[in-house]
Amino acid sequence: MSAEFLAAGPSVVPARRRLSGSGSAALAVVVALWIVAAFSPLFSARAAEIRLGERLQAPSAAHPLGTDDLGRDLLARIVVATPVSLGIGLTAAAVSLFVGFTVGGLAGYFGGAVDLLLSRLIEVVLCFPVLFLLLALAAFLPPTPLTVILAIGLTTWPGDARYARAEVLKVKDLDYTRAARAAGASTGRVLWRHLLPSVLPPLIVSAAFGVAWAILAEAALSFLGVGLPATTPSWGGILGVATSYVEEAWWLALFPGLALFLTVAAYNLLAEGLRAGASERGRT
Amino acid sequence: MASDGGAARQRAQSVTRYALARLALAVPTLAGILILVFLLLHLAPGSPVSAMGGESGRRVSARAAEEMRKQYGLDRPLPERFGAWVGRVARLDLGTSFVDRQPVSLRIRQALPYTLLLNGLALLLTLAIAIPLGVAAGGRPDGPLDRISAPVLFALYSLPTFWAALLLQTLFSVRLGWLPLCCVASDTAPGGLAGVGDRLAHLALPVTCLTYGSLAFFARLVRSGVVEARRQEFVLAARARGASPRRALWAHAFRNALLPLITVLGLILPALLSGSVIVEKIFAWPGLGRLYFDSILARDYPVVLGLSLLGAVATLLVTLAADLAYAMADPRVRDGTEAR
Amino acid sequence: MRRQLGALLLLLTVGAFACRARESAPAPSPQAAASDRTLFRRLFGEPGTLNAVLQTDVPEQLVLAYVSRNLFDFDAGLHLVPSLAERIEASPDGLAYTITLRPEAVWEDGTPVTPADAVFTIRKIADPSTPSPLFKPLFEDLVSAEEVSDRAFQVRFRKPYAYRAMSFVMPVLPVRRFAGVPFDRAPDNRRPFANGPYRLASWKPQESLVLERNPKSWGPPAFFDRILFRILPENDVAYRALVEGSLDETLIDASLKDRAAGDAAFGACCRVLEFYDLDYSYIALDTRLPFFSDARVRRALTMLLDRDGIAAHLYRGSARVISGPWAPQSPASDPSVTPLPFDPAAAARLLDEAGWRDTNGNGIRDRGGREFDFELLVSSGNTIGREIDETFVAELARAGIRAHVRSLEWASFVERLDSGSFEAASLASSAPDPNPDPYAYWHSSQWPPRGLNSGYYKNAEADRLMDQARTEMDESKRISLYHRLHRIIRDDAPAIFVVNSTKKYALRRRLEGVESSPLGLFAIWPGPVGWRATAAPRGKGPSP
Repeated sequence: MSAEFLAAGPSVVPARRRLSGSGSAALAVVVALWIVAAFSPLFSARAAEIRLGERLQAPSAAHPLGTDDLGRDLLARIVVATPVSLGIGLTAAAVSLFVGFTVGGLAGYFGGAVDLLLSRLIEVVLCFPVLFLLLALAAFLPPTPLTVILAIGLTTWPGDARYARAEVLKVKDLDYTRAARAAGASTGRVLWRHLLPSVLPPLIVSAAFGVAWAILAEAALSFLGVGLPATTPSWGGILGVATSYVEEAWWLALFPGLALFLTVAAYNLLAEGLRAGASERGRT
Repeated sequence: MASDGGAARQRAQSVTRYALARLALAVPTLAGILILVFLLLHLAPGSPVSAMGGESGRRVSARAAEEMRKQYGLDRPLPERFGAWVGRVARLDLGTSFVDRQPVSLRIRQALPYTLLLNGLALLLTLAIAIPLGVAAGGRPDGPLDRISAPVLFALYSLPTFWAALLLQTLFSVRLGWLPLCCVASDTAPGGLAGVGDRLAHLALPVTCLTYGSLAFFARLVRSGVVEARRQEFVLAARARGASPRRALWAHAFRNALLPLITVLGLILPALLSGSVIVEKIFAWPGLGRLYFDSILARDYPVVLGLSLLGAVATLLVTLAADLAYAMADPRVRDGTEAR
Repeated sequence: MRRQLGALLLLLTVGAFACRARESAPAPSPQAAASDRTLFRRLFGEPGTLNAVLQTDVPEQLVLAYVSRNLFDFDAGLHLVPSLAERIEASPDGLAYTITLRPEAVWEDGTPVTPADAVFTIRKIADPSTPSPLFKPLFEDLVSAEEVSDRAFQVRFRKPYAYRAMSFVMPVLPVRRFAGVPFDRAPDNRRPFANGPYRLASWKPQESLVLERNPKSWGPPAFFDRILFRILPENDVAYRALVEGSLDETLIDASLKDRAAGDAAFGACCRVLEFYDLDYSYIALDTRLPFFSDARVRRALTMLLDRDGIAAHLYRGSARVISGPWAPQSPASDPSVTPLPFDPAAAARLLDEAGWRDTNGNGIRDRGGREFDFELLVSSGNTIGREIDETFVAELARAGIRAHVRSLEWASFVERLDSGSFEAASLASSAPDPNPDPYAYWHSSQWPPRGLNSGYYKNAEADRLMDQARTEMDESKRISLYHRLHRIIRDDAPAIFVVNSTKKYALRRRLEGVESSPLGLFAIWPGPVGWRATAAPRGKGPSP
């Protein structure tokens, strides 16, 4: 879905890259999140400490964000969930991007029968009922991060593929590409030297949006109970538990959601900032 | 855009050709989707028999389960079952639900109005708010409205649906008691006109959850479309001719931004329908999303297949419509040299 | 574009009204003065069918309890009382049972309930092509069912069974209404032909079911004229509805019970009824695995689960620890057989003894090159099961055992259980009747796919006791056999038995005559049929 967002917006043309003010702020948040993720092993002991006698306690001095349904410190769990969510989000987005841009790029570049076939493939996956695929995958495969990454990556790549195909088609017929081909450059060389640099900026922007989307998707899956196993801390997972305790433990719903929201917003803002900075027409 | 009769006819012809070609291409796609769904459904562990008894914990011995499986025709080979199902669908018969032995079409018909109501209202609100907002913000980039709305819209776009639902429920229902926690209507509410207020109250939270995300998305889209179109020459030309700025904006800029909008609309609809699964589940809204989710859990194969078919057809139609809109506007698309 | 939007808006409004119009109730609205004679009950899901033989789940049972009487019923003390039947006579060899129907037992059109109906029903249940999970296990040994007179029929079985009489706590279907229609698609499955105090008046899918008095029912008339079942899947919503007055009863959980205690509005209108029933939770183990084949290891695992802590904190004190496959209330449970204590040190010693030690220093015990590492399944709807499992896993880690909790949705979960492809699984045992016979779950002849002994447990002594008890007609001798079995199971630990917890209901104060029993509120006679309402004002009631 994020790729359509881009496809319908102003075209991203290679130019000097500059981040807007809000984009820089977003970048700072993203970096801060990664620092938190790096330091999270320090919290893992505290996050795993089950104290049944202290379950569902409101925020206090001892537990700044309260405790969960097994008495574990919520702040520690949220911190420990950070690298999980970030890691899965990034990898899933990377998978989606890689598959999508390869398929879409090839379809756009070669055209003809290749395009016809690959476009059908894109369409099939696009129209495939996602929820159903996710539930089926969750039933088949062990609930490891890899499964979640595959589930997200394999269902979001068509968006990137369509976008990539559109961009490649735009660039394919530009004068300089035609000139290069007329001059006898090989397909590979054309792809590498000419198409790739112009596809790179939209790829980066798409990646940033994709990460935001993948983080959201992982949280949604864990929330529904088909994502990561209960013992692996994840923001979506804690929110899933929170639904059983909505009336008594508002902190279980508020804080992990806040972390999720901040992360997703940061990546979205970063992506928008990159896109704005890269646009030849300047800030939009 | 004045044109003589000959060019218009030619245009209509090439659009028709394009439409037919796209339609023909949609057939293998549909077939591919259905085969995949069928395979996945039957390869997934569990069957309608193992799904019986739900959470009450009553289990049947595996031998008894095996006998029951025969009742559902589950002992026959897959290709045969697929063929039988396709044959029934060709006769417009979606079969009977395993769960309550009602026709699948009846169960879908019962759930459809609720989903339409929810998603229709969400879409309406999205368009009603996003379009004016986007046009106003795009008309004056970096103006006060634009500067205020940008971060707000971003925040909305980044807000996870299920979290928003949880928070809204906690705030408006649990703490304040202003709005109901779930469901379609209070059963003690009167019918007819007087009951509309109650129904709207029940709709408030689910519709909000479905609307805010696509609203943010759309508003930003409209805005960038308007900004870009504004800079196009024909708008400057129109203004040079003396047309008022607002008129120029609406007449030209917006119309040009329309095409990407239609594309995105075409893709928003399926996203709306699948997003409504979570909302329907949280608010106990008896729509298609919840039917789908529950049917998958209950391994109610005929209902899952029927809904998948409908979903795939709807998505394909909408994609086709979007492509057609482009084709009508842009001859390069019709000739296949443009990115569609 | 504006025109199209307008049309869409119009369409939606019309649609909203159409939905509302379609649902206008045929019966008088609840706001009529008759509301004091209407009972508002809760269903947590939609009944799939109202065919009493095909029923599988609780919502169906709750509705059918009013509409379809059984041959015999359990009363609150769990004694068998005649219902549709008048009396039952067993043959001396215990193989044949002759049941005589009440002369006054009639269908809603006044025609008598006949032995032909009963025989038809029993044969249908035993028919391999009928999916009747609730009753099929009761008639597995069926030889024949025959009418013997115009009021009596006889049922023959292959073997004698001490609890055979309980098989006749079963409904009867009218044979003539199923003649010539496929059994699973009969119109009666949506609108059952009643022989009980009520019959179905209307059914709005996903919303409500209304029952009205059956004018032809016999016996003392029930208090309420109408029963309205509201379909409310969420406990929170039901709680709210109860306090507002649009429900008279609802099942609640521990957290709602706590909320009710501090809620003044609740205190004014309602009360909590809490009681122990026969259900219990346990963790099944596949005893074929190298980990779980040694009884010492299984005992050690039991001692690594802090069941008292779980009862105190996760169940908030509303649970008691069990030591075998029965709730403490069951006569088969021997109160002197106490649960194994929570003792990690003793558990470690047992594990060492059984040969599981950490030979390579990685913190995980191993034996013969295999690490003690297993997967613990739990059904995704089972919140408290998951919490128990996570607590367990943490303690196991401290003892050098690695376990992974895996949450599966119900269908996949059952599939793994039935196919024996699980290592450990959190289960709840839900008793449809007070039959304490553990044969189907623990006898070695009942391994899957034949039976429900999912753990593949085999103990010759236990088998012998179970076989003996099944044919022991003297109750006190049978009970002492089960007591011996209890001790063996406690020591052999084929599974990890956790707790027996309470059922909690929130009821409006106007309700009287609510009897609880070890089978709950609804599976007994008269049960909900015997509920009454006082004439006192309802307090906050449905808005007129």
